[in-house]
Amino acid sequence: MSLAIETANLTKRYGRLTAVDKLSLNVSANTIHGFLGPNGAGKTTTIKVLVGLLKPDEGEARIFGEEVSGDKADVKLKIGYMPELPKFPKHLKGSELLDIYGRMYGLSEQQRRDELPKLFDSVGLKGRENDLIGKYSKGMQQRLGIAQALLSEPELVILDEPSLGLDPVGMVEVRELIKGVVKAGMTVFLSSHLLFEVQQVCSHVTIINRGVALVSDTIENVSHKIKGPATLQIEVTKLTKTLVENLRKLPFVTDVKTEDNKLNISLGTQDDVRSQVSETITGSGGTIVSMNLTGQSLEDVFMQLIGKAGEEGGQ
Amino acid sequence: MTKRTRASWRTNFLAVVRYELLWNIRKKKILGVLILAFALATLTLALPVVLNNLNNLKTEPNPDYVITTGTGIGSFGFFLFALVSVMNSISGEFESGSIVPLLTKPISRTTIYLGKIFAALLTMLGAYTLLIIYLAAGGYIIYGPQNNLDLLFITLLGSIVSTLVWMSIVLAAGSVSKSSMLAALLGIGVWLGLNITSGILSAFSNQAAIMTYAPGNGASGTLGTSPPTNQTNLITMESVSTGTDGIATNLITYVLHPSDNVTFSKIEILGPREGIRRVALYSEPLSMVVARSIAVAAVYIFVFNFIAWYALKRAQVAE
Repeated sequence: MSLAIETANLTKRYGRLTAVDKLSLNVSANTIHGFLGPNGAGKTTTIKVLVGLLKPDEGEARIFGEEVSGDKADVKLKIGYMPELPKFPKHLKGSELLDIYGRMYGLSEQQRRDELPKLFDSVGLKGRENDLIGKYSKGMQQRLGIAQALLSEPELVILDEPSLGLDPVGMVEVRELIKGVVKAGMTVFLSSHLLFEVQQVCSHVTIINRGVALVSDTIENVSHKIKGPATLQIEVTKLTKTLVENLRKLPFVTDVKTEDNKLNISLGTQDDVRSQVSETITGSGGTIVSMNLTGQSLEDVFMQLIGKAGEEGGQ
Repeated sequence: MTKRTRASWRTNFLAVVRYELLWNIRKKKILGVLILAFALATLTLALPVVLNNLNNLKTEPNPDYVITTGTGIGSFGFFLFALVSVMNSISGEFESGSIVPLLTKPISRTTIYLGKIFAALLTMLGAYTLLIIYLAAGGYIIYGPQNNLDLLFITLLGSIVSTLVWMSIVLAAGSVSKSSMLAALLGIGVWLGLNITSGILSAFSNQAAIMTYAPGNGASGTLGTSPPTNQTNLITMESVSTGTDGIATNLITYVLHPSDNVTFSKIEILGPREGIRRVALYSEPLSMVVARSIAVAAVYIFVFNFIAWYALKRAQVAE
């Protein structure tokens, strides 16, 4: 599979602070790749190097095999970039801005005339395209940011916190829009602090902290790579001693805690054992009201990795 | 997904010009200065008529009124137009963050810079053309048929060059500092400093010639071959500013009187009873004064635009 983004030993410093530290990152083409990390992890700095807004101090970055440096218009032509909380000239109307950007991307007048209304519609700005951007709300500017990133149907879309500033409905719409983008054959590199967003939208993820990539793989593999106790939280209609004892006998169960009719079962495996647990409860005369598996989500992995990196950094 | 091909340089350039022009025509600062300029032009036209009427004097026809009035806004007007048109052209984009989406488009920073400065020039061209037409029409109505109206394009071009000098200085300050406020303050400081310095140096020092190499008004001289010898002459003789702000006026004078000389003099204070007198320093052909002011303007335009362009070209956007 060809690579859309490739960095090798990428380093960027601001004075004494190393924002990105020897980052090696591979993003395969035609995937939605999440870029996760806490505030100040180096996500935006990495993205700004990729789009040519910052120059790396060491290492290199490539987009579809071409080195990113200086004013390379050919590389920029392949990228649609939406900055974090994008700002646009307030004196322009939304339609004027996209028309001007469209010209810069080489769109013909006919293409601009045909595609701009569709784009405004798809990001939920239909009817507001002839308003001055200065009158747009933060959420509307965010939508305009997505529209201008998708304007040229680029091969690579880089979205820096696309849901920031959007209302819950807008967030769902943006997520659906991102999913639709990949169907059209684009690669999406999505930086987000919203773990559930990455989990819902992305197929791959890179977790970064203090400028260092902690892990990079498919979301499933990342979850499996991290060994940690998964927990099953179960509510039953009636809790009996036999039921608890039978559960404790299961080879993968390391501990069972009870509270009223609720069970908290610690598992020593990463395999999905819910059916076996369910059979044991039913076989012991119990009836399950609810069952919830925790400890294997991306959020848990993320928290674990960041915590581990923090401890190592502190030592 | 459509495979895109790069837009031509011309398309990109015109896209930036459009981007910038739409901003300029909606800038309240520019509209404000334009209204002020028209108010000043109206005052220039109407005030003599009003004063004559108050004194029961007849306003005499003056066929040279329009050609000697220029744009009617003078040195301060050039500076003010330059300031409001470019003080946030580059720095404002950095301050607001709108530079980020612009710099990530497939267009070179050089094209962005050239497009922005060209748009500012077009704005100036439009504003000055309107002013000159307004003054020409007003002058014709008030002072009768006018001579040498065909030379008004020199007024236009000269005024644009004079303004471009200030634009380049303000642009460079904005591009380097990334702050509109600093660009404005620095521009105002330079303009005020040079105006005060040139006035003092021209009047009292033997070193007036040095001011001909500074932007702005430059050294003050008088047209003719000998200096005025007393205060009466001082008032009646035609004064010439030799700096970059005087290009339009001096060019017109040169076209009309190509063999004129400019005499530079200084004021000597003789004593409480004797008063003051003018002492001639040196004379030089008007053609020399005009050529030098154009050359000086060209150097400033090139140097400060280079600084502004280089700062934009090398700028990193961390914020």
